[in-house]
Amino acid sequence: MAESEIIVQDLTKVYPRVKAVDKVSFSVEPGEIFGLLGPNGAGKTTTIRLLLTLIKPTEGKISILGFDALAQPNKVRQLAGYVPQDVSVDGELTGFENILMYSKLYGLPSRGRKEAIDEILGYLELKVRAKDMVSTYSGGMMRRLEIAQALVNRPKLLFLDEPTIGLDPGAKRVIWELIKRLREEFGTLVFINTHDMNEADALCDRIGIMNRGKLVTIGSPAQLKASVGGDVLTLDSKTSGFADKVRELGYTTITESPNGQIDLLVSNGERLIPDLMESLKTKGIEVEAVSLKKPTLDDVFLKYTGTKIEASESWIETRRTRRTFRRMNR
Amino acid sequence: MSLKRYLFSAFTLAEFELRKLRHDTSQIWLRSVQPALWLLVFGTVFSKIRGITSGPFSYRQFMTPGILAQSVMFVAIFYGITVVWERDLGLLNKLLSTPVPRSAIVLGKALSAGVRGIFQAIAVLGLALIIRVHLSLSLLNVLCVFVIIILFGMCFSSLSMSLAPIFRTRERMMGIGQAITMPLFFASNAIYPLSLMPGWLKAIAVVNPLSYVVDAMRALLVTGDFSSLAQDILALLIATAAMVTIASLSFRKILV
Repeated sequence: MAESEIIVQDLTKVYPRVKAVDKVSFSVEPGEIFGLLGPNGAGKTTTIRLLLTLIKPTEGKISILGFDALAQPNKVRQLAGYVPQDVSVDGELTGFENILMYSKLYGLPSRGRKEAIDEILGYLELKVRAKDMVSTYSGGMMRRLEIAQALVNRPKLLFLDEPTIGLDPGAKRVIWELIKRLREEFGTLVFINTHDMNEADALCDRIGIMNRGKLVTIGSPAQLKASVGGDVLTLDSKTSGFADKVRELGYTTITESPNGQIDLLVSNGERLIPDLMESLKTKGIEVEAVSLKKPTLDDVFLKYTGTKIEASESWIETRRTRRTFRRMNR
Repeated sequence: MSLKRYLFSAFTLAEFELRKLRHDTSQIWLRSVQPALWLLVFGTVFSKIRGITSGPFSYRQFMTPGILAQSVMFVAIFYGITVVWERDLGLLNKLLSTPVPRSAIVLGKALSAGVRGIFQAIAVLGLALIIRVHLSLSLLNVLCVFVIIILFGMCFSSLSMSLAPIFRTRERMMGIGQAITMPLFFASNAIYPLSLMPGWLKAIAVVNPLSYVVDAMRALLVTGDFSSLAQDILALLIATAAMVTIASLSFRKILV
């Protein structure tokens, strides 16, 4: 296997009143979609800004594509693409102009520039609106244009900070497909920040969970979910001595309610159910209802941090409102 | 990064500022309201009073270069607000993630302010012609005036940009802009000659870059007396170079 493309060691950023990033270490492998998951204020955006050399760390080392990001920030900037959390396209310019500006700033040769921009706009299905002012674009189109803008230098690494925040489910799905396609067609390494568990689950090969500046755990979604303990199977039955008979079969019960409902801790629940039903029947147990609950990343988050990720959701709503407000004011 | 690409990046930023102006020219007209009031109301009244000795030239002739400079200064000094605004929106984050050096971004933004200043100047000059202020508008003179305006716009937008990382919010920058512009305007030779000022005010006017700009433009557009032109331009060049440098240093702290 090739060397890790991003290596971060003991990364720390201290602000006067808060330790935004606290001794974070991780690495990202070639061709991965890597995500940082955590609530607002966990230090994800600060981490991305540190990796992109926008701000300087208080302590720690960052190596990106073999370059020391602190010593050679320009190498990193030339190779990376960035879609910030907030707006990065200018509403007072057309879609085409927004991309043209960045292609010039990245120093792309003027020969073939227009064709290259048209190609990118075509790839993101924005060609028909390319000559319109960006202020007339919908939220999803703006996001796509921002991705187009980030692709203009053909980045080896793409950083996306909350790529689908504030988008409707349809637009979200379009962005997810796009990110996957980028990885498949160009082998782009994608680094995303998200507070959305579904997004992390649907998109990322590996996830680092961040809370209050610390990286609490890291692994593939499946690994992380397995670390919570497994699936919970709930059985309802009116047969007397039901719980004892289930235990006799060698299962672990977590809870047991007097009205004949028990929770079992199992692994691969969906594959287990048919066998379990069979053996319960031979024991003379009549099962009335079965339900299976697979662990979610929220359970993972709860296990490692002691709080639910949604606890910060109201915060995110506020920010979304603020973002809309800003757009309206443009 | 090569010097060629450095300058190319700065010019690119100015180019897109120009494109923005082309998409929406209303800003130029809106910003011409204030200079129009100065020329039409203040200028008319003060011409009647004849309280200010403007030599062989009419008072309106005397004040037009002053109002021209003032309108460019207003455009430039509020440039720091634009920078804070772009930071709040996220545009600046994106810009800083490119390989373009910070100082080239500052230079580009300063040039943009200069470009905006030129269009503001065209509006004011047009207005002056409409109200029949006699100005010597030979091609060479006008080109020289434009060069001075670009430098002046760069100088004051850099001053404003160097304050942006310190004051950080749009509201404070607004206040600072107003706190700077009016005193500088009154402590200059824009609407009355230095000879009328008390000693303390003259002392301020002499170190005020606005005075040199007005003096140079007055020489080019009205008096034709070029004796202090070289000195004026040199003073402006020094002030501009100093302000762009300070802004470049200060700009590193814009995101913290």
